[in-house]
Amino acid sequence: MAHIHLEDGAFTIFWVAVWTLAAIALLALPLIKLGGKNIPTRKLAIASMCVAVGFAIFQVEIPVFGGIHINLTPFIGILVGPSLGSLTVLVINVFSAAVGHGGWGMIGANTIVNLVEVFLGYYIYRAMRTRVKTGRFAAGFGAAFFALAVSAFIVVGIVTASEIQDSTQTRDETFRNMLILAAANLVAAVMEGVVTGYIVSYIGKVRPDLLDDVEGRGKDKATVRAGEGTPHV
Amino acid sequence: MVTHYAESGSSALHRMNAWTKMALLGIVVVFVIVLMDIYLIALLFVATVAFYSLGRLPLKLLVGWYSMPVLFVVTISILFMFTEPGQELASIELLGQRVVVTDNGVLLLVKLLLRALAVVTFSLAVFMTTKYSHITQIASRVLPQSLANVFLLSYRFTFETTDEMSDVIDAIHARNGNLVRGASRQTKLFAGIFALAFVHAFERAERIAKAMEARGFNGTFPMAEKLPRPGVGGYAVISLTALALAAVTYSRYVEDLFGWW
Repeated sequence: MAHIHLEDGAFTIFWVAVWTLAAIALLALPLIKLGGKNIPTRKLAIASMCVAVGFAIFQVEIPVFGGIHINLTPFIGILVGPSLGSLTVLVINVFSAAVGHGGWGMIGANTIVNLVEVFLGYYIYRAMRTRVKTGRFAAGFGAAFFALAVSAFIVVGIVTASEIQDSTQTRDETFRNMLILAAANLVAAVMEGVVTGYIVSYIGKVRPDLLDDVEGRGKDKATVRAGEGTPHV
Repeated sequence: MVTHYAESGSSALHRMNAWTKMALLGIVVVFVIVLMDIYLIALLFVATVAFYSLGRLPLKLLVGWYSMPVLFVVTISILFMFTEPGQELASIELLGQRVVVTDNGVLLLVKLLLRALAVVTFSLAVFMTTKYSHITQIASRVLPQSLANVFLLSYRFTFETTDEMSDVIDAIHARNGNLVRGASRQTKLFAGIFALAFVHAFERAERIAKAMEARGFNGTFPMAEKLPRPGVGGYAVISLTALALAAVTYSRYVEDLFGWW
C-alpha cells in the first residue's frame, strides 16, 4: 500500500480528539472556498463520482511485486483540485472506515495524511507542468512520489507523537520503528508514482480538457469545466 | 453485497432503529479505544460477532472483509512486535542481528487486531442491516450540508462503481490478462483501467449534474421516508452500553473499579 490507514484502538482518546479537531480545522478552508452550503451542482457531482471511483480503486490489488494497493489521492488532487479533493478524501475515509479500511476514530488522522497528498499532488504537478515544463508522465510521477513521500513522514510524525496504545516503547523507539515503515512506503510511493504517471498520460490523450485547470491552460474554459457556474440557491 | 443484505434482510437487526445502531457503533469505537484488558477486548470482539450473527449475515463474508484491517494492523504492529521489551518467546539470527519476539510484542499485536476486528465487525453489521434511505437521513442530520450531499450522492454510486471495476478486472482475467508478465505491463494495464474509471466518473458526473439541475436541485436531497426516533428498548440499550462505557472510562482514567478482575 502507498500509505497507512490506522485502525481504531491504536491511539488514546486524547490523540484521537487532537487529530480529529486538526482535520476539521484543515477541512474548513476548502469548505469555505467551495462556497460553504452552496457548492455548485457540477462540483458536487464530480466530487461524488471521484469518491465512488477512489473507493473502488482502494479495493483493487495490482498484481505487481506480490500485490500492492494504491490510493491515488495525489491523482485525485491533480484531477479535481485541492478544495474538491479535500472533500473527496474525507468521504472516501468515511466509506473506508465502514469496511475496516482505517478506523472511525482515525478518520481525522488519516484525513490529515490524505489532505497533504491531495494538496502536494496538485501543486507539484502544476509547478512541474507550468514552470519546469516537464511531460505529463514525469509530472504525474514526481507529484505522486513527492506527495506520498512527504505524507509517509507525516504518518511517522503522527504515530510518534501519539504513540501506540499498550506499547511501552518511548517516542524515540517508536520513531525508529516508524522510519522502517516510511522506507517501505517510499518504495510503494515509487509504484504509485508510476501508476499516476501512466494515468495522467492516458487522460492527457483521451480527455486533455480534464487537465486544463491543473496545467494552467485556458483559465476561462477550465473554470467553466470545473463547474463554477450554476450555484444553487 | 452490503446494500443487498441491507435492503433484503428481515432479521432483528434489520428491524432495529438505525439511530440505535449508529449510537451503538459510536459507543463500540470508544470502547475499543478505552479498554486495555485483553480479556475485556476479546469479550467485546465476541459480542460484536454475536451482534453480526443476529443480523443473519454470512460469517464467511465477514472473514473475507477481515483481510484489509488485518493487513493494516500487522503492517504497524509487526515493527513493534520485535522491539517491545518483555519476556523472550523466540529469536532468530537475521543478517547478523538477533531478532527477538517478546510476550508483550505478541500481546500488542493481538490487542490491536481484536480492537480493529471488533469495530469492523460492528460496522459491517450496521451497514449490512441498515437501509440506504435510513443512512441518508442520518448523514443529512449529522454532517454539514455540503459534506452530506457529497456523501449521499457518492453512497448511491459507490457500490455500483466498485462492481463495474471488478467486472472490468474479471473481464481481463477471463481474457488471460492475469498471465501478463512484467511489472511495467501490469502497471500500464491497471493504470489504463483506473484512468478510464475516472474519465467515466467525470462523464457520469456531468450527466448527473445536468439531470439534478433539470429537476430543480436546490442543495438538499429530498427524503422519501422518515426515520423515526429509537423506541424505549432502543434508548434502554443505548443507555446501558453508555453506562458500561462510562464505568470503563472512569476505571481507566480516574479510579480502578475492576481491580478484582
